[in-house]
Amino acid sequence: MRLTRPLLLLAVISAALLGFAGSASADEGDRPVVRVGTEGVYPPFSYRDQDTNELTGFDIDVVKAVAEEAGWDLKFVEAPFDSLFPALDSDRIDVIANQVAINPERKARYLFSTPYTYSHGVIVTAVDNDDITTLDDLKGRTTAQTASSNWAQVAKDAGAKVQYVQDFGPGVELLIQGRVDAIVNDNIAVLDYLATSGTDEVKIAGDAGDEILEQALTFRKSDADLQQQANDAMKALTDDGTLAKISDGYFGADVTVQSGSEDVDVEASDSRTTWEVVKDTAWPMFVGLIKGNIPLTLASFVIGMVLAVGAALARLSSSRILDWIARAYISVIRGTPLLVQLFIVFYGLPQIGIDLDPYPAAIVALSLNVGGYAAEVVRASILSVPRGQYEAATVVGMDYWQSMRRIVLPQAARIAVPPLSNTLLSLIKDTALASLVLVPELFREAQVTAAATTEYLPLYAMAALYFWVVCYLVSVVQGPLERRLGRYVA
Amino acid sequence: MSTSHLTDLIEVRGLEKSFGDQQVLKGVDFSAESGTVSVLLGPSGSGKTTVLRSLNVLETPDSGLVRISDASLDFGSPPTDKSAYRRAVKALRARSGMVFQSHNLFPHKTVLGNLIEGPVQVQGRDRDEAAAAARQLLEQVGLAGREDAYPSQLSGGQQQRVGIARALALKPEVLLLDEPTSALDPELVGEVLAVIRDLAAENWTLVIVTHEVRFARDVADQVLFLDGGVVAERGGAEVLTDPREERTQRFLSRVLDAG
Repeated sequence: MRLTRPLLLLAVISAALLGFAGSASADEGDRPVVRVGTEGVYPPFSYRDQDTNELTGFDIDVVKAVAEEAGWDLKFVEAPFDSLFPALDSDRIDVIANQVAINPERKARYLFSTPYTYSHGVIVTAVDNDDITTLDDLKGRTTAQTASSNWAQVAKDAGAKVQYVQDFGPGVELLIQGRVDAIVNDNIAVLDYLATSGTDEVKIAGDAGDEILEQALTFRKSDADLQQQANDAMKALTDDGTLAKISDGYFGADVTVQSGSEDVDVEASDSRTTWEVVKDTAWPMFVGLIKGNIPLTLASFVIGMVLAVGAALARLSSSRILDWIARAYISVIRGTPLLVQLFIVFYGLPQIGIDLDPYPAAIVALSLNVGGYAAEVVRASILSVPRGQYEAATVVGMDYWQSMRRIVLPQAARIAVPPLSNTLLSLIKDTALASLVLVPELFREAQVTAAATTEYLPLYAMAALYFWVVCYLVSVVQGPLERRLGRYVA
Repeated sequence: MSTSHLTDLIEVRGLEKSFGDQQVLKGVDFSAESGTVSVLLGPSGSGKTTVLRSLNVLETPDSGLVRISDASLDFGSPPTDKSAYRRAVKALRARSGMVFQSHNLFPHKTVLGNLIEGPVQVQGRDRDEAAAAARQLLEQVGLAGREDAYPSQLSGGQQQRVGIARALALKPEVLLLDEPTSALDPELVGEVLAVIRDLAAENWTLVIVTHEVRFARDVADQVLFLDGGVVAERGGAEVLTDPREERTQRFLSRVLDAG
């Protein structure tokens, strides 16, 4: 995938303008640091432990055992499944440990280790649905799938319409709500979900064909060394029984060998009550707010304001080139989704050598976004300052920048505060998107726990409550600020 | 009137200015000695405000020369170098202070803040020294004790007196006043004119655009009657009582009838 040149150029200039230059380093010291991409929301393979909130699961234990054997230091990066492959492509992670099934398309693009899970697909339906029992029955029906998962392809091949969801849990919700007819997924994941949620509203309706799927660690084509080390380690772990033991602990069967998947017995990966889940998640979400959303908001707002004032002055300047550049910037920012901007900065720019870490990338994208939106507010506010003020500043001897800084902008600020407060409130809420570029934040924490516990409504409601409280506090400050800036108005 | 331009503080020669295809100034000449009061008057559209605003380059003439004291700029052949031009404009502006028709005080600054803004930010003077000088000026215009008020808390006449003090705070050689009482309620005009009268008595060099003919009679050393973009009549205060030109007479009778 290549992006068009002008867009890239603009993004490059913007990034360079902000002076960010970061790069991920894969090697430190003697032991290579291997960055592992995983969902963290896919129990029992990759999820957060209910007591420690640490990343755990079958895939996590396997990759840890492999790392021990191969002499790697691991660094885990959690991201939605659809972000894992772009992250691997753009060198933000080195391996995916997330039940990635081997298929021909992926084989053409990536390297796979020896498989460590053998499973088969099952079809999940609402408990009162008796119409669907085989893949053939999916023709013309709607299924809920993760976009880049191989199960989406299986469902499509069977003639189903596919509704894309972020991970398995929300798909089940759609199923219960009757918005989709079925889900095709791995039998182990489904069994875990049924055990954890205790739901009696969905059931396994039948097998999705008789194909056995092989899941393996996924590497970039250029990392044959890592693949080789993983395979050597995997062999040793199979020989000494370690893999079988890990599997037995999770599934009561050895899914690391063919035919093992038939006898799987999954225990619930989470057994807490709703209240316990909410209580246990409140703190991690708060930490996400303090470490993620709030710093992102502050940094992006400050930088965004500088960009906005710059763009507004460029629009007002007599230079047609500056005016044109500012117009183009504002138009591009306002005319494209923030989500797309985030993805271009984080997953796109590395392809032309601009490799930002998650925080800087999120700040660059959010700042550019805020700047584009606030520029017109700032411009209108500057225009609202009477011409006589410029003349008065001129005759006391001020130059352009002095009169802007001392006379015009302070008066424009008073006009700009109410609309800019809106921009700030939007920004606070937009930081929830930062988890898509791997920044840990509040909403991501809610999603992680919701996936493991199926407590969607309480957790998402709590996330909403956090955002609302922060926004409320901001609006409380707005009043006094307006009075302070307007104290000279009779 | 002096004939030797060397003793003149202000010298204007051949000033021309067009807005679009309308020529507002068609060659204006005049000079003023130090310590004198020059009154510009004439019907609306005669170009009197444009002449005043040319003296500090709020309007840029198309051609002609403006000199105040030792700073001059020939707009017919200005310095080709941009920064040399800017320096010349800056030097010319530094010689004068300006009082606007609608005061244009900085609304977000206090009275004192308005007065010391130029001295401290532009001239780099010491803040305390500038504040002390500003308080003295406020006393002079009858506003002692109001330094902490915001402009919006003052009456129109008080605002205009602050405007005069702000212009004086820059220690200019010439004070330019653009219809300083036109925007005021009639009962507030007197207090502002009184302040200007005092300045004239203290031998400030003033250039005033005004419609206050009776006031002009009292203070003017020189009267310039502009009409159609040229100086139609020039003389002492007697121009206002005994004009030679017919169009001056017509204008005066109209203004005096209205007043």
